[in-house]
Parts: sequence; structure tokens; C-alpha cells
Amino acid sequence: MLGYLVHRVLIMIPTLLAISFIVFVIIQLPPGDYLTTYIDELRSQGEQVSLDRIEFLRKEYGFDKPWWEQYAIWLVGMLQGDFGFSFEYSLPVKDIVGERLWLTFIVSFATIAFTWVVSFPIGVYSATHQYSWGDYGLTFLGFLGLATPNFLLALVLLYFAQVEFGISVGGLMDEQYIEQPWSWAKTLSVLEHLWIPVIVIGTSGTAAMIRRLRANLLDELRKQYVITGRAKGLPPFRLLIKYPLRMSLNPFIADIGSLLPQVISGAAIVSIVLSLPTTGPMLITALKSQDMYLAGSFLMFVATLTVIGVFLSDIALAALDPRIRLGGGIRR
Amino acid sequence: MTRRLLSIAAAAAFLAAPPPCRALDGLMEVPFFMEAVRAQRLPSVEQRVPDEPAIAAFGRPGQRIGRQGGDLRILMASPRETRMLVVYGYARLVGYDYTFDIVPDILEAVDVVEDRIFTLRLRRGHKWSDGHPFTTADFRFWWEDVANNKELSPAGVPRELMVDGEPPQVTFIDAATMRFAWKRPNPYFLPSLAAPSPLYIYEPAHYLKQFHKRYADPAALKKLVERAGRRNWAALFNRVDNAYRNDNPDLPTLDPWVLKTRPPANRFVFERNPYYHRIDAWGQQLPYLDQVIMNIADAKIIPLKTGSGETDLQARYLRFDNYTFLKQGEKRNAYKLHLWRTAYGAHVVLYPNLNHKDPAWRELFRDVRFRRALSLAINRHEINQVVFFGLALEGNNTVLPDSPMHRPEYRAAWAKFDLKQANALLDSMGLSRRDSRGVRLLPDGRPLEIVVETAGESTEQTDVLELIGDSWLKAGIKLYSRPSQREVFRNRIFAGETQMAVWTGIENGLPTPDTPPDEFVPTSQQQLQWPKWGQHHETGGRSGEPVDMAAPRELARLREAWLRATARIERARVWRRILEIHAEEVFTIGLIGAVPQPVVADARLRNIPDQGVYNWDPGAHFGIYRPDQFWLDKLVQEAAR
Repeated sequence: MLGYLVHRVLIMIPTLLAISFIVFVIIQLPPGDYLTTYIDELRSQGEQVSLDRIEFLRKEYGFDKPWWEQYAIWLVGMLQGDFGFSFEYSLPVKDIVGERLWLTFIVSFATIAFTWVVSFPIGVYSATHQYSWGDYGLTFLGFLGLATPNFLLALVLLYFAQVEFGISVGGLMDEQYIEQPWSWAKTLSVLEHLWIPVIVIGTSGTAAMIRRLRANLLDELRKQYVITGRAKGLPPFRLLIKYPLRMSLNPFIADIGSLLPQVISGAAIVSIVLSLPTTGPMLITALKSQDMYLAGSFLMFVATLTVIGVFLSDIALAALDPRIRLGGGIRR
Repeated sequence: MTRRLLSIAAAAAFLAAPPPCRALDGLMEVPFFMEAVRAQRLPSVEQRVPDEPAIAAFGRPGQRIGRQGGDLRILMASPRETRMLVVYGYARLVGYDYTFDIVPDILEAVDVVEDRIFTLRLRRGHKWSDGHPFTTADFRFWWEDVANNKELSPAGVPRELMVDGEPPQVTFIDAATMRFAWKRPNPYFLPSLAAPSPLYIYEPAHYLKQFHKRYADPAALKKLVERAGRRNWAALFNRVDNAYRNDNPDLPTLDPWVLKTRPPANRFVFERNPYYHRIDAWGQQLPYLDQVIMNIADAKIIPLKTGSGETDLQARYLRFDNYTFLKQGEKRNAYKLHLWRTAYGAHVVLYPNLNHKDPAWRELFRDVRFRRALSLAINRHEINQVVFFGLALEGNNTVLPDSPMHRPEYRAAWAKFDLKQANALLDSMGLSRRDSRGVRLLPDGRPLEIVVETAGESTEQTDVLELIGDSWLKAGIKLYSRPSQREVFRNRIFAGETQMAVWTGIENGLPTPDTPPDEFVPTSQQQLQWPKWGQHHETGGRSGEPVDMAAPRELARLREAWLRATARIERARVWRRILEIHAEEVFTIGLIGAVPQPVVADARLRNIPDQGVYNWDPGAHFGIYRPDQFWLDKLVQEAAR
């Protein structure tokens, strides 16, 4: 087991290096660089910018160097904890993320909690009452949730809140708390605003989780140990909790790997629609304007989290499910 | 343009419209600062405004003296756009008034001799937003230690200050007077000071010296550079000294509103400048609005947010096709939707590439008969009705009716839908052979198929092209439209690979004789009809191609004549000749102009014109209408409830 762990940790290094390379290359792929998109943005609103100034900035930002040199500088910087410089904000990358990261964590964990709290009972109910009216009704709702894109739901909600009630549902707190230090009132304000993004972002995840739990549980419910347990006179609820439910929990754990990156980058488009001060919109604008160090560092962060997440969920699975064995492929 | 610049102009405008009641009788303390003044954290208003403050003119019809107070919310798409407050605030050494004349603003007066000797006089007692005196020392610091410092300005003195490759002779006469003198006229000097993105020829020396190698303590400076993570002191200096970017809350300014929020942020607060130099005739210090609050939202969401009343003044990121949606929300959210005129020469323009690299196509595009035929074969009226609800102006890419240079024939020449004449012109060029589709054939047998490239950002352009395609086919020309991506779009045009492009027209459709005619002459690579000639001019002949066509060469010659002209009437004559050539030669095929710009303003906001011109330069978007004179009428608000 220990050897396996060390092996897994070591293999992360080349993985991350490869990812950093691909990330950098892909960000550089579109024609032009940050300055050309910057000039274009100015021009589209009628502004002019002098060629001398652009030439000066090109030097200052290091765009006159070949791409591999830029990559090397970025990579070495990152190893030392310097994530480079955001052109868009004219600030070091690490100074920018700040509060956004916290708000993103709050929104994401609330969403995960919402997903689990809602999907768990519904999934169990659907599986144990298969093909009942309740199951059909919930399945119908689940498919609706699965099929509606999150951002569309957000837009519909925005529209109705606006037309029917004349209020705006965007944002994550009342206006007077933005850019203010954290206080009790601010926290309350955040909690008041939190439920809309949580529902909007969580809907499709909830629906998917319901379906998975239902399918897994259905598989287990038909197995012989369940019948045996029932024959031995275990109360139905206790039986359910004790055996088949535990078996069907695997997707919850296996999901951790993909959950962590979602926590950071997830629901970017919903965040744009709802004007949430989270990290998603920041990543998208950075990519659009080719603000390469900000976007690159972000993606690297997400990649690192994914790698760690997958590692953690593998360990957790191995620890929790005795049926899972290491090195299964060797014997074959 | 000499004498009308005197401050008399401002005074005259003020006298022409007498204030509603009291005359100037002592200054009134600003309520917003009352407490700070009482606590002696801030000097009283008499000590804050200059000895001779600028008295704001309220000459525009419907303008009234207002009351101080209130916040204004605006929306922007990126934290970088804190600079828009510099544009809207529009405090300039000299600035355009709403009739597009240049008048002194921060300066008390400018004296101009022969358009080449400019004597600038500051207001005595004028102060930076931190209370430090604003004097010629700030100009001297900029001139000697920034503009002429090789590390800070590797490209040297700004281009606008160079005449025939020579910088001006700058003399600092006393603390409030200085002189810029050239050997030859410099018509770019004052317009560049009045630009929305102005040429700053002054800087807060008292603040910036701590970052300057010549003045700062080397060890302290080194520490500052390291803490900011910059490569050297010059990079740091450029970071902190960027009055236009407006992202450093420590940098003193002369603008009406001062940035108070340190980036990065999603909500920026700008507070009124306690030392602002303008007052109204009642003795109230401007600006009227205490704070401007700028929230950041995605550009695509801004029209939606505007429609739900989340902004008090918005035009940026609103487009004409948002009009109906915005109109719906007008009542419910108590805002008013204005339609302002835009100053683009035309909103949609086709650019045949006279520098196309295929000789056959190049010859074709350079034949004036061909360009005229293309223009004649377009039904502009139909485009106007179908895409723009008939609200736009049909015609060429030229000056607008509001410009003193305008003549109807410039817009109408070769712009009337006439397929018969178009076909006759094309036949006379020897393009009479056609293939089975009815498409004409080039002499070498290729079909006359023109690919029009778009930057792929607006469906408006593709809609228009669809309509043109129908009528061109009747003239035997097949049109294909090809959306691409902006970067690719430009590079293909520059390289001569694009046959024809569609883009907006000239930026400033409201020139006066004193406006440089550069947009009509090959001077820039961004002129999509002749990018290589423009590049040749821009780089001083290092790249691009020299002009090898008679009419554009004539244009370049006329521009030289304009630069040398000393009398306004002579400049006007040159301008007319340039416009005539453009009308006759149809270098660009303008389709539709004066597409209105929606402007949404809180229903309580006063002194914002119902019908204005929305333009960048000159105009500064809202700048020339002086947002420091906008105010919120609370009574209306209460009555509405």
C-alpha cells in the first residue's frame, strides 16, 4: 500500500509538468497576444492607442521573447510561488484572487451540500419505490433538471424576477457590502443571496446524482444478500441502510475527484449571468483576453486539484470498499 | 483658431445664459465635506478651490443649476475600465465644449500665436486632489524627468509634440505660466490635450518623485520595486504613474471624481474631488454628484442589467438592437431612454482592398468604375428599413450633416440604387461575359466572386451582406460573406489576402476645418481599403508599400497642404477638396450612417441632453456634456412614488 501511495504521488509530477506545457501552448494558440486583444478592445469603443506605447508594453510584458523562454520563466516562477503577472489587472496574479476564492468555496460547498441533501433521499425513495407514481414524478423532474442548461435556468430566473417582481436576483450580497471587510451583516447578506445560485448551479448535479444513486441501489436491491437479510427478518429500513445503500455509495466517493476542480472553476457561465463575484468569470475573461499568466495559473491550480482529488478518491475508495484491490491488472 | 481660445469664450457663454437667480456671491461649503471641514480634516471650500475658479457655463438649452449630493451608479465590463471616469469626468487643460470648440478648462487661458507658440496660464491656487499645489513644477517634472528620460520614454517625446522631427522649446516663466514653442505650426497640440485619452504634459511631481531614480533614495526605491514585484524602477514608475488608467488610488488627480477603491475589485467607488476647480454661478463647488459607483458585470449582461434599472447612466455596451428591450423597462425602473447620434461617418462600410496581392483583383478594385458600380448596385433604403427600422441615414462614408464641412452631395454621390447604371459601368469595363448563373467573368475567365470578410462579431453585418448579395447578383457579382475572428480578420487584410472587408466607417464624422484630415488620407494600417500604404506612412517607409495610385497620392499631398496652412479658410478649402475626391472615387463603400446610440439615464438625472452626440473623439462619450454638472433631482423621485 505504501509503495502504491509513493508511486501515485511521484507520477503526479510528470503529469503536472505535461499539463503545464499543454496549458501554456493552448493559451498561446489563438493568433495574437494580450496586447492585440487589448488594442482591439480599445478600438471597438473608438479609443486609439499609440504605437510607441504598445511597443513599450510589449517589451515590459516580455512578449518580445520566444515562447519557450516565456514558458520557462513562468514555470520556474511557479515553483517558487510566483505565479506571474496579470496584464489585465496590472497586478501579480496571487494578489488578485483573494476574496473571490473564498466566495467560490462558499458557493461550491453550499452547492455540494445541497446536491447531496436533496439527491440522497430522493434517490433512495425512487429506487425503493420503483415504477410508482412518486418515482415517475421525481424522475420526470430529474430529467428536466438534467436537460436544462444551468445558465438558461439562471436567465429564466433573472427574467421572471425582473418582470414579475421588479427585483434583480444577481450578485452574492447587497451592494453596500461589496469590497467591505467581513462582518456579521455581510455574512447574513451573503446567506440571503446564496440560495439562488446554489439552486441554479445544483439542479443538474442533483438530477444526475439521483439517477446514479437510483440505478446503483436498484442493482444492489436485487442481490441475494438483500433477500437473505429480508428472509432473516431484518426490518426493511435497517436492512436498506446497513447493506445495499452502503454498496451504492461508491459514486459519491468517486465524485470527489471531479468535485474539487469544480469547486474552483465550476459554473463559470452561471456566475457570469448572475454576476457572482467568484473565480469562474475571472478565468473566462482571462482566457478571452489572453491574459496568459492569470489564465495559466488558474488552470494549473485546477489541474493540481483534479490530480489530488483523483488521488484522494482512489485512496478513499480503496479504504472504504474492501472489494477494491490494488494491482488487479498484474495477475491478468 | 487663435483668439477664440481665450477664456473670454467661456465667460461669454456664461453671460449669454444668465443664472436663474443669484449671482456669484461667496462659496458654499459642500455638504458632503461639512463634517470633515468642521473637524478640520479638510480646509474650507474657499481655500480648496483656485483663486479664480472656473465658473461652469449652463448655456445649453434646458440646463439648470443643480444641487449637490447623491450617488451615480454605472456599469462597466472590466476592472480596467476605471479609466472611463477620466473620460467622463473630462477635466482637461483645454477641452471641447458642446459645440466642439476648444476652450480652456484647467488652464485659465491659452494664448496662441501663429499656431506655433502656445502660452499656457494656470489658475493660481489650483490644487491636486490631495491638497498639494498644482504649478508649472508639475509640467517641468514631466518634461524634464519623464518625457525626456530615456528609461521612462524610450520612444522619446510624444509624437504629438514633434513637428518635423523636432521637439518644442519649453520655457517655464513663473509658477503659473509656461510656453511651448515650435518653429512651424503644430495643429495637433491642443486637440491632443483635449482628447478623451489626453496627452498628459503634467504629473503630480510631489507624489511621483519617490519613484523616480533622480529624486528617490536608492535603497528605498529598490525596496519599493521589490515589493511591487517589478523588474526595475521604470516599470514601477509606469505602474504608479498612469493618470489615464486611473487604477492607483494614491495618485493625485485633477479629475472631478477620485478613485477610492484599490484594485482588484468588483465595485469601485469614486468620491468627489475636494479641490476640484469648477464651481457654478451660485458658488457651489462641482461636481454635483458626491460619488460615482462603478460595478463590474459581463459586457453581454450589461443591457439586461440596464433594463432592470441597475445603472443610473449607461451607454457603453448598449447597442441599437437593445432598443426595444430597454424601452420596455423604462417605466417600471424609472429611467429614461435617450437616442443619441453617433459620429461614425458610417455604421457599416465595405472596404475593397486596393492592396490586394492578386494583380487581377487589385486592378479591378483600383478601377473607379468598378467601385462606383458596386456602390450603385446596393439598395441602401432596403437595408435601412429591414435592419435599422428606417432610423439610420443612408449614404456614403463621409462627414455627417452636423459637421460644418458637410455637403449633401458627399453622402449621395454614387449611392443611389441604380442597377442599370451599375451594369452599364461593368459592361464598359469589358466584364460583359457571364457564366450560366449570370455571374460575370474576369478577363482571365475566373468568375466575379467577391468574398466579404467580417470580424464575426455582429449578426447585423451578415444581415446587411445578405441583402447586398441579392442586388449584386443582379449586377452579375456573386457575394460570399465569411465571418472570421478579429485578429485573423485584420491580419488577412494587412497581408492583402482579403478582397473586401466590412467594418465601421471613419471615427470622427464631425470634423471642423481644424481637425486633421488623417482619416481620409493613407496614414494608418487600420485603414482597411489601403492598409499597406497606411503602414508605409506610419512606419516612415520602413514597411508597407508607397502609394502608387494617383488619387490617394493627391490626398497625401492635400494633407501636407493642410499641415502647412495657416488660415482656417485655407484648411476648409483643403478639407472640401479631400471630401470631393472621396465622394467621386468611392474608396470605401458606405452603406448606413448615424445609427442611434441608446443612452439610459435615471429619470431624476438633470442636465443630460435628450439629444446628444455619442462619440469618442471629440466627445469623450459624455465628457463634453460635463457630467460634473449632472445632478439628481430628488423632488421628482418623491413625486414619482
